[in-house]
Amino acid sequence: MDRSYRYYDVRRVKGELSQIDIDNSVIESAGSSFVDLALIRVLGPVGWGVLSVNGDLIEGDSLPDTLLHEALDAAKITNGAVSIVEGECQVLSVPKPKEDPRDVSLEEKTQILLDLERHAKMDDIVNTRVTYTERTGNITFFDSSDNRFSYEICRCGFGILAVACKDGITQMGYERRHTINGLNIRHQQNLALHAGTIAQELLHAKPARGGMMNAVLDPELAGVFAHEAIGHAAEGDLVQEGSSVLAGRIGEKVGTPVLTIIDDPTIEDFGFCPVDDEGSKTKRTEIIKSGVVNAYLHSMESMAAVGEDTGVLGHARGMAGIVPIVRMSNTFIDNGDSDYDEIINECNDGILLKGSRGGQVDPGRGVFQFNAEYGYLIENGECTTMVRDVSLSGDILGTLHQVQLCGNDRKLHAGYCGKYGQTAPVSDGAPHILLKNAVVGGSCLD
Amino acid sequence: MQWWEVVVLIEDVFAAAKSRVDEVELVIAEGHGIRADLRRGKITIGTASRSAGIIIRTIHDGRIGVSSSDSPARWKECLDAAIAGGKLADRQEWGGLFGPVQERETLARDPTLIVSPDLLNDLITTMVQGSEEYDAKITSGSASLSSGNVTLANSAGLLITEPSTHASLSIEMIQGQSTGFEHDASWQLSRINPFTIGKTASWFAYAGQNGVELDSGTYDIVLSPDALSQLLDTVLTPALSGRNVHAGRSVLAKKIGEQVLGEEISLFDDPLDPRGSANSYWDGEGVPVRRLDLITNGVLNCFAYDLRTAYRYGKETTASAVRGGLAGAPSIGFHNLILKGPVDNVLDEKAVYIHDVVGAHTANPMSGDFSVELSSPFFAEGGELGTPIRSAMLSGNVFDLLNQVQCVSAETKTLGNMILPSIRIENQTLVGKI
Repeated sequence: MDRSYRYYDVRRVKGELSQIDIDNSVIESAGSSFVDLALIRVLGPVGWGVLSVNGDLIEGDSLPDTLLHEALDAAKITNGAVSIVEGECQVLSVPKPKEDPRDVSLEEKTQILLDLERHAKMDDIVNTRVTYTERTGNITFFDSSDNRFSYEICRCGFGILAVACKDGITQMGYERRHTINGLNIRHQQNLALHAGTIAQELLHAKPARGGMMNAVLDPELAGVFAHEAIGHAAEGDLVQEGSSVLAGRIGEKVGTPVLTIIDDPTIEDFGFCPVDDEGSKTKRTEIIKSGVVNAYLHSMESMAAVGEDTGVLGHARGMAGIVPIVRMSNTFIDNGDSDYDEIINECNDGILLKGSRGGQVDPGRGVFQFNAEYGYLIENGECTTMVRDVSLSGDILGTLHQVQLCGNDRKLHAGYCGKYGQTAPVSDGAPHILLKNAVVGGSCLD
Repeated sequence: MQWWEVVVLIEDVFAAAKSRVDEVELVIAEGHGIRADLRRGKITIGTASRSAGIIIRTIHDGRIGVSSSDSPARWKECLDAAIAGGKLADRQEWGGLFGPVQERETLARDPTLIVSPDLLNDLITTMVQGSEEYDAKITSGSASLSSGNVTLANSAGLLITEPSTHASLSIEMIQGQSTGFEHDASWQLSRINPFTIGKTASWFAYAGQNGVELDSGTYDIVLSPDALSQLLDTVLTPALSGRNVHAGRSVLAKKIGEQVLGEEISLFDDPLDPRGSANSYWDGEGVPVRRLDLITNGVLNCFAYDLRTAYRYGKETTASAVRGGLAGAPSIGFHNLILKGPVDNVLDEKAVYIHDVVGAHTANPMSGDFSVELSSPFFAEGGELGTPIRSAMLSGNVFDLLNQVQCVSAETKTLGNMILPSIRIENQTLVGKI
């Protein structure tokens, strides 16, 4: 083989995607599609050469010379020197699902989902929709350092939407659950009921008033806060590029002592990674430890560029046929010692934000935004009126000093995160937290 | 794949499907591309890709099944999966796939756009040169060139093969804590100006430094095409889809003939507008495209339909089927969505200019209510951007916003399936840190 390369790896993802879409009790579609893609990465004399092709061009665990040369040719355009740090390769076993979704026919799943959808139907609900996704991937990996492994993982889950309409007002309730632990659509009628009820109640909710106020975030939204406000800025590739406000701040105090934020790919939740997509062992990483920046999330390249003592390897993930980049996995704020009542009481006057419609961050400017599904005003330490369309934004470096209390009721919620056009399954979580003087967005002002 | 391999594949799939289903449709896509990625101003990754894939849709007794695969050789498995899926789907009214169309020239292939490393290098080098116009650093960026062929064939006799080319560039820059982002993409090389892309990103990163805090209050604002497109994409375009309308997911559902936007605002889809990023004479189901006047002078005229939704609800297709890559069935979408309004200089009077927004996808798609953080906002007056603003949040409702448009710019930007001006809107709520 040509030795003008310094390293190569090959990752083939072969799998099947099943989806069911039930809209207003009509089975719109229920079917399967097939994926088989391979990505060859070669570290040439200067930078990376990458080749993305159909998976059936890779047989077993050897890289054909022709493909190696094609990838090396692609590297010829590079003019920026790339170094890597190779770490230990270790593969955790994938948990056995309680009920393997592949053992249950699409017909049976469809019937379960039809029943589930019925439970979201109630007065003023004009649309209900349930969608199910099941993605099985068989990942084969080998590299020039003689690491090789393969594993299979199945991720599945569902979302239920209820739309309410009355007197010209349209609102929605949405619940979703995704997991790696097997079929999760049975006995979920209460979630459907909840989606319908929230949509109904939001018809009567008041628009939120914007401004600076104390805010309590529920575990789902506080998880999005951890993800958007801190997680992305701790990604080693962004630190390497110079587009993170956390760059150069290892050891610096950026938040209150109650705040510890962790990314842990080894937890068997939706963001679980048995090994990362460069073959590196995955490890629990304490990004913020008691308010102090402790570690970045790294790939082999970002660790070499930023420094081996600046974080933890094993956080590179890529979609099938696409170059792995630094990603979060299961990201959460660690439990504190306050209970829920204490947090609401301490907030006194402010707002409780619940559920998530997602968020976004500009890590270079250090500005983030995310949106709750709904909220309640907190007046004199009591939750009162329901409000809709409430969001929160802030500066990464300022907001962490505003986290006054962390609860003891941490929960993780599964979702998907987008970065550079790639989507990754993740979990976010937290206990209830209290932010003092947060910037809350609403359509009217005091 | 060679052309004769495509012909053989179509014949094989149609022959195998003939005795099992009423109708079958096959999409065969193949292409190749190259890409270069910048990190801190240097190219650190060169990528080459080759792809091929198929989508099979079957219809039997009004039941529709779909499957896709990125291995055309696995078409039998794909056909079986489509038929199996169709058996599970509920029956609907169905009037047949669209038949043969007249052969026409391709609209989105540029013979000068060669997928070559030399051209790629020229583009990215010129973009980097443009970025040196103002004092700011490149964090990341990329350039890509690709070329492909999509064949759409069905058992009603339709056969369309369209070659296409595509180029795209993007760059992110930073100076202090001020960021600048710019991008462009087109099927035609001459429409992309790499130097300007680099220069624009560097200007926003450079000029956005030392922003001032803004007092919470009511302001006239100017939304750039980028900022506007994100809000329209989350709220307005889903509300115009016939499927969402009939399913009860559109706030516009019962408003045909009503004033839904400002009286001087019109919104239409013109698939053949020469500014389009990837025009075609046909939609994703082979139906000849035409202009679709969705909202005229603020009054809602119609919604968009594909074959499936049109048959189900007794409407006619508006040739609005689009395909998002090789991901299964076509869905309802737009080709070149154009917003028109009274043209004037949007920056003449005092306003807050909003170059981009953070978090538009978190808007409430049902009600249109949204709240976003601003990216690269500036105070503007006398046709120019002035003092940068450190940060602020814009909250409101997309429909209300489009009811308060004062004027739009003559200049437009093509962003995927939208061709948009900058728009000036009065009396919007901005939440600042003061």
